[in-house]
Amino acid sequence: MAVTQQPKVERKWIGKSIRRVEDPRFLLGRGAYVDDITLPGMLHAAILRSPYPHATIKSIDVEAARSLPGVVAVVTGAEAAELCAPMPDFGPAPDKHVWRCLAVDKVRYVGEGVAAVVAKSRYLAEDARDLIQVDYDPLPPIVDPEQALEAGAPLVHDALGSNVAYERTFTFGDVDKDFAEAEVVVSDRLRWNRSGGQPLETVGAVAHYDLGTGMMTIHCNSLTFSHFLFMMANTLKVPSNKLDVKPVNAGGSFGSKFWAVKVAVLSGMLSKRVGRPVKLVEDRIDNISNCDHHGSDRVYYVEMAAMKDGTLRSLRLRTIDDYGAYIQFGTGTHGNSLAQLVGPYRIKTAQYQVQAVLTNKCQQGAYRGFGSEVTNWMVERMVDLVAQEIGMDAVDIRRRNFIQPDQFPYFIPTGNMYDSGNYEAVLDKALSMIDLEHWRAEQKRLREEGRYIGIGVISAQERSVFSATEFWFWFDEPAAKVTSSPESVTLTVDGAGNITATLYSCAFWGNSAETMVAQLVAEEFDVEPQNVNIVYSGSNRSLPATGPGGSRFTVMVAGAVQGASTRIKEKMFKVAGHLLEADVGDLEWTDGAVRVKGVPERSKPMAEIAAWLHLFKHSLPDDIESGLEASKVYDHPYTTMPSDDRTNLGVFYPFMGNACHIPVIEVDITTGHVTFLQYVAVHDAGTLVNPRSLGGQIIGGTAQGIGTALYERYVYDKDGQLLTSSYMDYLIPSAMEVPDLEIGHEETPSPFTVHGIKGGGEGGRMMTPAALSAAIDDALAPFGVRCNELPATPERIVNWIEEGRSRQPELTE
Amino acid sequence: MKPAPFAYHVPSALTEALAVLDELGEEGRVLAGGQSLVPLMNFRLAQPTHLVDINRLDELDYIRRDDGVLAIGARARQSALERSQEARGAAPLLVEAVAQVAHPPVRHRGTVCGSVAHADPAAELPAALLALDAEVVASSRQGERRIPIHEFISGPFTTTLAPGELVREVRVPVSGAGSGYAFAEFSPRHGDFAVSGAAVLLQLEAGRVERASVALCGVAGMPVRAAGAEQSLRGARGSEEELEAAAAAAVEGLTPSADLHGGSAYRRRIARVCVRRAINLAFSRARGGA
Ligand SMILES: Cc1cc2nc3c(=O)[nH]c(=O)nc-3n(C[C@H](O)[C@H](O)[C@H](O)COP(=O)(O)OP(=O)(O)OC[C@H]3O[C@@H](n4cnc5c(N)ncnc54)[C@H](O)[C@@H]3O)c2cc1C
Repeated sequence: MAVTQQPKVERKWIGKSIRRVEDPRFLLGRGAYVDDITLPGMLHAAILRSPYPHATIKSIDVEAARSLPGVVAVVTGAEAAELCAPMPDFGPAPDKHVWRCLAVDKVRYVGEGVAAVVAKSRYLAEDARDLIQVDYDPLPPIVDPEQALEAGAPLVHDALGSNVAYERTFTFGDVDKDFAEAEVVVSDRLRWNRSGGQPLETVGAVAHYDLGTGMMTIHCNSLTFSHFLFMMANTLKVPSNKLDVKPVNAGGSFGSKFWAVKVAVLSGMLSKRVGRPVKLVEDRIDNISNCDHHGSDRVYYVEMAAMKDGTLRSLRLRTIDDYGAYIQFGTGTHGNSLAQLVGPYRIKTAQYQVQAVLTNKCQQGAYRGFGSEVTNWMVERMVDLVAQEIGMDAVDIRRRNFIQPDQFPYFIPTGNMYDSGNYEAVLDKALSMIDLEHWRAEQKRLREEGRYIGIGVISAQERSVFSATEFWFWFDEPAAKVTSSPESVTLTVDGAGNITATLYSCAFWGNSAETMVAQLVAEEFDVEPQNVNIVYSGSNRSLPATGPGGSRFTVMVAGAVQGASTRIKEKMFKVAGHLLEADVGDLEWTDGAVRVKGVPERSKPMAEIAAWLHLFKHSLPDDIESGLEASKVYDHPYTTMPSDDRTNLGVFYPFMGNACHIPVIEVDITTGHVTFLQYVAVHDAGTLVNPRSLGGQIIGGTAQGIGTALYERYVYDKDGQLLTSSYMDYLIPSAMEVPDLEIGHEETPSPFTVHGIKGGGEGGRMMTPAALSAAIDDALAPFGVRCNELPATPERIVNWIEEGRSRQPELTE
Repeated sequence: MKPAPFAYHVPSALTEALAVLDELGEEGRVLAGGQSLVPLMNFRLAQPTHLVDINRLDELDYIRRDDGVLAIGARARQSALERSQEARGAAPLLVEAVAQVAHPPVRHRGTVCGSVAHADPAAELPAALLALDAEVVASSRQGERRIPIHEFISGPFTTTLAPGELVREVRVPVSGAGSGYAFAEFSPRHGDFAVSGAAVLLQLEAGRVERASVALCGVAGMPVRAAGAEQSLRGARGSEEELEAAAAAAVEGLTPSADLHGGSAYRRRIARVCVRRAINLAFSRARGGA
């Protein structure tokens, strides 16, 4: 265990590996997903997608589709624009890059919705969809993000006047001085191509607009941000208090359902139009081509300044990020980058130029890491380059630059704070789990046989619990004030003393939200986690909630649970004080009961107090109301505002985990194929709530990191066609490609969160690309290979080897 | 992703199936394991108006050996081939190839004849069958024809099967004793269609190659025999130089078309690697090794 400033607290449930409370219903096949919902009179919708990356819509002929028997309605983009306002958009200039649920006048990427059909079955809806005739006038597409910057490039949004949706250079400290004084400056161009979360279940919604009451109810697997859903009501043109979004179990998200509101809006709009419930579930092509949640797509031109002894001084970069055709969250993914821009290192200054460009592709959304994983890769790639330049070992250069345990809380140049950490302990634990000497010897031996193995060692940050300032500080005068991105819980204790926890965001996305809440409640009240009942409120009577995202849910809900529990206990103490004829100040909570301090015989168990509160009000003091229920809205616990000139962005992502990944791989130089020999991952996410479920997060995240590093990419060809619209071509690593992970945990509690918890949902994917890139370089060092573009597909690896050979003719076979 | 409307026929005997196919002519489409056809229909890339499901034709569910030939009926699943002792003895190359097709759930439904009829240029079984000089038996109401596999497959996803015909079985000459075989492929992930692959069958006589067949998948619009490699192997004893020369000869003149998982040069390179690996393994097996 790491050294901590806090005394070790004895906990009953927090820190215990328990089985997930969500699992039984899913393992029994009783979970029910959105496609399992059937409402009386329900109709089915299908969306006609654009086959062109960029084209004006001259006309749409829907006659044949409308007259197909079984078809109830066909709605074109133009009609949708009358039924709906534009989509809720947090982008930089929503009126200049207007985003609508269906395209109007012009399509901007392959897959963009053009019209919707409602019919008696999905089959009929698709038959009718194929009968719609759209007359397009193709426009030249803009596909390459760097070309999108050039004068004269085709414009994605004419109203914007250019393809640059946002551009700014942030300078943190005296960067020029650090570069002038540096003994070593390395530079590189790095390319991170777009991939995305691939949930088994796509986005879906069943909407029911009640003509009698005007109530719009939408069952949906994707919604969160319940405190922003009034914006969706605005899009749907219903009063916000007449919109009820009911969360449904989701079959995975990985970020891709973060704010996937379009499907809900479409189903709501269609239901209002036809006066009957309408189901719309994306198929895989819809999801891959039109989900609004592709991941980061960046080019970096980056320099790092250092001294010959390995001291890192400064980082200076320009990044061009290809956001696709719209930019719904603005440059929030670069907020993530700025949160941990210097990694775990004492780099004192940094300059960050971001150019957010629009192209004819599906827009970006969220994907596990939300842009910080790209930054980790970039920083670690540059640290490795410095190490190579000065001939220093990968481990040594990291040790030399780590922020030390006694330096926390530590403010990085961007203004963000790292709350706590012990990076050397994490690294040491990982090194203790791997026999580095053995592998180095093997590497030497195998090279003689013409076999190439490589070891990667990286250390990187895992930010958690965003404050919304990261979506907000981009402009000197943001359009509105900033939210605290709260999370809420209501705890209800019934007359028998059993507890129900009500959650207000769609928290279950395949993660372990309910297990977390159950363990936290169990900790407070000494009950068994599986006996805590967990329910979800619809948005209509919701308390403010933000949902999962940015590894925030566990930390935030822990605050809410603790706050609500305190309120419940206060009331119980009052009742117990009355019953036990004791002063409230003399009472304590132990083992599920309120008792007189140190007198076990004089105690009242929770069930008894609850019974009094529910049934016997007349026997209690007058000022005690019947019932036992409390809510807590927990606001972000540590946010500070940016400086006016934005040379300091304030604290916006403070709970900072860290991890060290060490993969050992073999590269077959004839095919470029990478296989794993060992993989060690040590993570520090503060106080562990459930090591077992955190382990699951690490495994899943690492698998996705392997996908990003070696396999996955949404490929648009130079004409803007999406070549990877099914899993034939978009390659996700399977169980055959993902190795057994050896996982270790360190625990450095956060001094600022309840129980010292930090978020840990994204860490695997934040580490793996950097670790594998380092391992590939190491394996192929004899060829001078530098992995500067991902995914490192077999063909790309072979090309790197060939380039290396041509640089060093003596290596030719 | 729902198929366009279609009519569905489920004959329960071969004669009935042939009658239905005869009546439907161009309109009829056989449904075997559905592992290629159903996805195509869901994407609406294929929109057959009539499906003739052959899954109830129990009489075509066989893998049997007679008279020096291994016969595989149209209802035989790929997984049955994989497990068949008879096939392992008679055509081990084919068994090694089928194990590299997709994943177990796909092989449990997909048929051997379906793979041949589908004629995917990257598919393993057609290439292995080509190396084995297999024949396709096409049945129709009018009778039967036997078509050598290299005449049967005529291009990417195209065959010389006529309307009204059904692939009733494929016939594979039993590999002689003392022969060495191997199927080697490379795909980015386990179970994917190969970037390319090589099927090799070697007949040795006193340590030297007397007869060699080498077939490749994934390098052209259909599986191809590598005549150059076969020639270069004649008389070879399996030295490094011979292997290299044969592998180089195998890909000479090939210009595979590029796709997402490999450009033309990469595919050629992989083909060459696979040929070399397969020849190497075939030699050691022929010599009584692995
Ligand atoms: C996920 C996945 C991965 C796959 N990976 C591979 C792979 O790595 N390698 C590989 O080779 N294949 C692969 N396949 C395809 C698989 O092998 C198919 O089973 C095979 O190609 C077709 O066989 P089938 O019985 O399913 O035929 P179907 O899908 O039923 O039919 C395919 C075509 O052949 C015709 N047909 C079928 N049987 C006959 C017959 N007896 N007479 C006349 N016409 C007929 C049909 O009309 C249709 O046009 C994969 C499939 C999937 C779903």
